[in-house]
Amino acid sequence: MGAFLKKDIIVLLRDRTELLVLLVMPFILTVILGFALSGLLGGNAAVLEMEVAIVDEDDREAGAAQIEAAIADREIPEQAKRELLAAVQAMMPSVLLDGLLESGEVAALVTTVEMEAEDAQQALRDEQIAAVLTIPQHFTEEFLRKALLDEGSGSELQVTISDFASTQADVFYTILDEFAWTLNYETALAQAAAESGLAPGAPMERVGGTESITAAKPLSALQYYSIGMAAMFSLFVASTIASKAYVESYQHVFDRILLSNRHPFLYLGGKAVSAAIITFGQLFLLFGLGALLFGTIDFLDIRMWIGIALVSAMLSICIGAIATVLTSLTLRYNNETITTIFAGGLVSVFAFLGGSFIPVDGMPEIIPLLGGWTPNGAALTAYLSWMQHLEFGLLVEPLVRIGIIAVLAAAAGFLLFPRKRGSLS
Amino acid sequence: MLETEEIGKVFKGKAAVEGVNLYMEAGEAVGLLGPNGAGKSTTISMISTLLKPTSGDVRLNGKSVTKDPGSIRRVLGMVPQEIALYEELSAYENLKFFGRIYGLSGRALEQSIGQVLEMVGLTDRQKEVVKTYSGGMKRRVNIAAAMLHEPEILIMDEPTVGIDPQSRSHILEMVRKLNKEKGVAVLYTSHYMEEVERLCDRVYIMDHGKVIAAGTAEELKSILSSEETILIELDRAYPDFTKELQAMEAIKQATETENGIKLIVPKGSRVLGSIFQISERHQAQVLNVAVQTPSLEDVFLHLTGRKLRD
Repeated sequence: MGAFLKKDIIVLLRDRTELLVLLVMPFILTVILGFALSGLLGGNAAVLEMEVAIVDEDDREAGAAQIEAAIADREIPEQAKRELLAAVQAMMPSVLLDGLLESGEVAALVTTVEMEAEDAQQALRDEQIAAVLTIPQHFTEEFLRKALLDEGSGSELQVTISDFASTQADVFYTILDEFAWTLNYETALAQAAAESGLAPGAPMERVGGTESITAAKPLSALQYYSIGMAAMFSLFVASTIASKAYVESYQHVFDRILLSNRHPFLYLGGKAVSAAIITFGQLFLLFGLGALLFGTIDFLDIRMWIGIALVSAMLSICIGAIATVLTSLTLRYNNETITTIFAGGLVSVFAFLGGSFIPVDGMPEIIPLLGGWTPNGAALTAYLSWMQHLEFGLLVEPLVRIGIIAVLAAAAGFLLFPRKRGSLS
Repeated sequence: MLETEEIGKVFKGKAAVEGVNLYMEAGEAVGLLGPNGAGKSTTISMISTLLKPTSGDVRLNGKSVTKDPGSIRRVLGMVPQEIALYEELSAYENLKFFGRIYGLSGRALEQSIGQVLEMVGLTDRQKEVVKTYSGGMKRRVNIAAAMLHEPEILIMDEPTVGIDPQSRSHILEMVRKLNKEKGVAVLYTSHYMEEVERLCDRVYIMDHGKVIAAGTAEELKSILSSEETILIELDRAYPDFTKELQAMEAIKQATETENGIKLIVPKGSRVLGSIFQISERHQAQVLNVAVQTPSLEDVFLHLTGRKLRD
């Protein structure tokens, strides 16, 4: 197999057009898309910056005092009273909200201004602010009453958003929605703790998993597209290898190989291995260039590179398997149409479904579902998860998917291979 | 050593080859002559196991090669009509790849590459990529690739098509040496009668998928032993003159050539006087007249009514 492997790699390296497609094109597209769409993917947050009015009608201290008095009046053990009183300060919603709005990432986007209600509405109409956040009367009291004593119906923050800056307003709404969800979650935890006899705020084992978007490291558009394009263009390696097999067929080199009395599977295996090695090299060259020129990956972060290598290796094996299917079909029908259809149509479909062009999270469910079963889509998910969280556990699902695709493709490739004499002419 | 038994091949209901019987002894050189579409390439593809016969069998030393393709592949060198090489690789890289898939390695491989490169006269240019070579050089590497594993049988499918006379002469001399000095059995297909006459001990003539004649060159020519060829060289073409000659009872065949007219007449015919009389009547200027014994080309024309390169 070594002879086949070496030959395939030399032949490809001497084909400048193919090299251009496999290495230069994805790099150019990464740069174009990365800069053109940077505003949409958080690479340039300036377009999302906004000013928001805070109308604070709540009396925090009075609210807290009301709850402290209610706790003191309750007929519960002294120990429980002390813990609940401590929780009042720990769960003050206004403090939590201030913390959120002053946190680095949110503060970079949102500038808050305290206003009276009427002034805020006027500023909103004058398009001076993107939204008004109203903290209603008794907000602290009602929240703490529900959270700690399980009494009442809780409280609500009121957000009025503008039409003129809808994107920014949507972002602000999403931030607050996340905040409200966190408060509700904390409330549920506190109540569960109370029921189980634990003090509110004591560390608890989390049941199930929750994914916090704000906990992930944000990626720039350049980072996103350097991965998206690399994953997409890896598919072209499979079609390139298959098209070389077609050249071997019509130039009768394949006849020579058959007459050498080598098992034809060695030839096909050579195609798979060379496609995998070429893909791995291609991916690392693209990621390496991205890291070097644009800092898309920290060059010295060994742990980061290990994860990327793992995903790349799996994707490369899958591309090798796809190369066997395309090679087998090309030789079986002695026709290059299959390769052309794959490179000219299927790759684009896979790229769209897999999110190489634009993120598919906001699309109808079927798109990310299908995309998750494309090699590039699964690989993109794995790369993104790894770059944001650096957790091996998150790689398991996409890598298993890539593995399943690889096994199915390899099985189809070897089954379709025209190993019987006479079937090639 | 190698024989075919009534082999035939049908493509999409149409018979490309029908009931072909031929044999070849060890160290023998056998020619397979025929025009385009005669079935030569299909026949040798079946012999080499690249195509499975629809009917009949191919035997090597009495054993069926359709049942055991490996038996012939081990001893066979195949030179296809096409340049079956990687154009992006150098001659050396091509030979190294083909040598390795034939199981050669290390010193044996290097030695074998050196020998075949010397044989085809390309030692000095072995490092250049094949796509920069002339047609003749590519054909020589094409042959070299088939010789790496020192085959006992060499099948050559029109190995001199489209090359310059110098390369052609080099290839013919190389094949002759392989056959006569190294004892390699050669099955040689060609359009060119003179190549087959020069190289081959025996000849099979194919047309429309069938063998229509077989034997040594002399045996085949004896088919026309009762005839002789008269070549009339003219200053230009005289179609009416040709037509009148074709109508003469004493002349079996009259065909126009590049320089004049070629006649096939019964041996001993006294037709020259009549020919001169007719030429005068048509005011045709006769530059030369030659009487020849028949060639294989004449035999082919006689058997098929066509020239080989029609």
